[in-house]
Amino acid sequence: MSVIGKSITRVDGVDRVTGRLQYAVDTVLPRMLHAAVVRSTKAHARIQRVDVSGARAMPGVHAVITGQDVPCLIGGMIADQPFLATDKVRFVGEPVVAVAAETELQAQMAADRVIVEYEDLPAVFDMEEALAPGAPLVHEQPSSYRRIAKCQAHDGSNLCHLHEFTTGAEGVERAFAQAERVFEDTFAVPAVSHTAMEPFAAVAVCNPVSGEYTIWAATDAPHRRLSEIAAALGIGSEKIRIIVTAMGGGFGGRGAAIAEMLAVALAKFTDGRPVKVVFSREEVLAASQTRVAAKLTVRTAVTTDGRILARAADMLWDNGAYTSKSPEVAARGGMTVVGPYRVPNISIRSRLVYTNKQPSGAFRGFGTTQTSYACEVHMERIAVELGLDPLEFRLKNGYVEGDSHFCGQRLTGVGLAESLKRAAASVGWGRQKPVVGPGKRYGRGIACMIKGTNTPTVSSCIVRLVADGRLHVLTSSVEIGAGQKTVMSQFAAEASGVTIESVRVSQPDTSVTPFDFGCTSSRSTFHMGNAIRLACEDMRARLFVTAASVFGLPAEGFDLTDSVLSHASGLTLGLREALKKMGARGFEFMGQGTYTPAGSPLLKRDPGNTADDSIFWLFVTHAAEVEVDMETGRVRVLHIAAAHDLGRAINPLNCIQQIEGSVVMGSSLALLEELKLDRGRVCNDSLLDYKISSSEDMPERIDPIIIESDNPEAPWGAKGVGEPAAAATAPAIANAVHAACGVWLRDMPFTPERVLAAIMAQATPEKTVDGHRSS
Amino acid sequence: MLASGLNGITLRVNGRDHELAVAANVTLLEALRENLGLTGTKEGCGHGDCGACIVLMDGHAVNACLVLAVDASGRDIVTIEGLAEGGQLHPLQQAFLDKGAVQCGFCSSGMMLSAKALLDANPDADAELIRRELSGVLCRCGTYPRVIEAVLSVENGINRSGGEG
Repeated sequence: MSVIGKSITRVDGVDRVTGRLQYAVDTVLPRMLHAAVVRSTKAHARIQRVDVSGARAMPGVHAVITGQDVPCLIGGMIADQPFLATDKVRFVGEPVVAVAAETELQAQMAADRVIVEYEDLPAVFDMEEALAPGAPLVHEQPSSYRRIAKCQAHDGSNLCHLHEFTTGAEGVERAFAQAERVFEDTFAVPAVSHTAMEPFAAVAVCNPVSGEYTIWAATDAPHRRLSEIAAALGIGSEKIRIIVTAMGGGFGGRGAAIAEMLAVALAKFTDGRPVKVVFSREEVLAASQTRVAAKLTVRTAVTTDGRILARAADMLWDNGAYTSKSPEVAARGGMTVVGPYRVPNISIRSRLVYTNKQPSGAFRGFGTTQTSYACEVHMERIAVELGLDPLEFRLKNGYVEGDSHFCGQRLTGVGLAESLKRAAASVGWGRQKPVVGPGKRYGRGIACMIKGTNTPTVSSCIVRLVADGRLHVLTSSVEIGAGQKTVMSQFAAEASGVTIESVRVSQPDTSVTPFDFGCTSSRSTFHMGNAIRLACEDMRARLFVTAASVFGLPAEGFDLTDSVLSHASGLTLGLREALKKMGARGFEFMGQGTYTPAGSPLLKRDPGNTADDSIFWLFVTHAAEVEVDMETGRVRVLHIAAAHDLGRAINPLNCIQQIEGSVVMGSSLALLEELKLDRGRVCNDSLLDYKISSSEDMPERIDPIIIESDNPEAPWGAKGVGEPAAAATAPAIANAVHAACGVWLRDMPFTPERVLAAIMAQATPEKTVDGHRSS
Repeated sequence: MLASGLNGITLRVNGRDHELAVAANVTLLEALRENLGLTGTKEGCGHGDCGACIVLMDGHAVNACLVLAVDASGRDIVTIEGLAEGGQLHPLQQAFLDKGAVQCGFCSSGMMLSAKALLDANPDADAELIRRELSGVLCRCGTYPRVIEAVLSVENGINRSGGEG
């Protein structure tokens, strides 16, 4: 019986609902010490003196270390971040001193005794000020940092990374010069916190003789974290082992060695005793990583009948003080500002800027929560001003099967038009507006987006069919909470021919489970799904060869389905019984699979084009119904219809969870979230002040709509689903607000204050434009 | 107070008494997680803002991070580890699985115990009331729609016996 397309209950579900899962914060080891961290109170200052003598004298203390003790720089793209600040601090909250003690309280009390004296330096918080000539430099000599080739250093400037792309400057210029209409808008998107419910935590132990580290961590990419930590410490990767724990959410926030870095730093100084680091919620909000704040200017040339001729975008991205994945967000993520549209002339400039603020990095959607907002509100304004129906305008310019993406890749499996139509239908697009209460206005809005996946990346997998008939899947695909283990079990059962009850999916452990690029970029289902398929085919081939010799039958006639081994000749045996006959005790059949899309015929064959291609593209449309309170500016989201082209739903319930969950997150980003800064200091560093959506704040109705499309390389048709939803919600709401009351919202979040200010600033509030008068 | 400067307390957790010696400033959450190793109760913020640490105290949902262990002495505490009985998942646990109300699971113990307190007091709570009463538990995975469906399904008896019927 096929298990593909079935809503199989979470394979680790019982552990999950009985409180038995061990998260990073739950890790307990014999003789384990606890850490506390002294953090910078200054945004930019030279460290003049650090006095740790008082801390060292406190009871229970085993190690008090400063930047001098761990002169290491870490960063997957640009290694510019010290484990602990050395000569100067660059943001409020930067770790300066770390303490390990018998108890958390003792560690904290010792940390309170540390004295740090600073000499203030001029700081930069605003991206444009940071780029102005003569601005204080966050980093004096970026070129001294280890970095990947595509991140060029810009000494003497706060420019961290520059990414430019054009289809041809002349063509773009000509298109804008000759266009019937040109539109331009500038949007601001704030830094927000991933706010995974489990705070950052890690445990590290260092063997004092061998110098080998073992790290227990909730990380989304253990093999990559291992390389980053090894490079920072200047030791071989064979000296580090990362064991992944259960994980209380990620959303991109677990894509850097945030707690791991501090645990590793301390572990070297505790005589082989493990050290546990757990961030407080305040540290998570103010001193870890944020979504990249951005200022996006978008220009578009169109014909009066709504054909897009050119798109130019000039984007500033706030890196904060140190570099995580933001160069890639600004570059690859930034390209999605073009949207899912055929645009013949494109010019993009993306600048990532160092500032004296908490570092930024990957966030669910990898740039698309910023770019899709800008692109789609801008698109809406173009449609409205041209007098076109916004849905028709999108359909007219939107990608269809076989179109060429501007990266030069022919697009396969494009469910965009269907997603637009079905989301629109779900909110009653084109129908008369329902009557709402006095002082209220109703509006419908729509927004779509495109998201690729980092290409090419590698996933490997090993399967072991053991004597009792179970199939062990050794994979480094991380169960981040989205149901990865369940989907991997479905793939393994389907591909191997054992029942799903017989499948066991491992926890990642870099010393045991093979390489995987990580649980990022909506890639696990597609990439590890293919690796599992290959590994299971390999295992079956070995099984059938042995079966052929044991049972004296030709290998090609064998089959394994639902844990029953059969042969065309009529042989039928339960798998366990068959295995017993086939090998001595302990005999196993193994299979190995490595998948990479590199060289796939689906990828572009346009070598001169520097834009990234993608082995699959996800298309999403959200349509919103809102009610705006004209007296308070409060936006009530009545309904979000969320249509997702995800290829094929391997586990529909898991897909619905992802879609609904990211609509909740998307509307939370749209209406509530912003890290408020006062000269670089996060003011709202508690969950009381940094408000994320509760059950009361979420949209009153969410309709997830699954759209299926064909991608020939997708395992059982599945592309991915994790990221894009959070991006389309905000622009759909913004556009619905415009339809309701005629104001354009170019800054997130859409707080009552901001919406009310826009309503009051509107010169002629009665002349609203209905965004959906026809369909 | 004991000679050690600690306080002797009796914590009744999931029907079993535990004699503990704790400092006056130890929270119920710390006593559960560190003294008793009951790590199913989670700390998401330590200030009562997120609800991840919700347990039942004398049948009421409380944030364990805001209750001192000494004040919980002699009270009847139920944690997520005590929800399943006789090797059977509680109907809420089964419903949370069946309806997909669990994703990363970090908020799930707080969510299920809040739901239990609600249903015990109000077995016919409608979706609106459930939405309001569970708003004290934050879930970043955004499981709220599934949670409401799960709680309603328990009310309707679909999951009363841990399965069909």
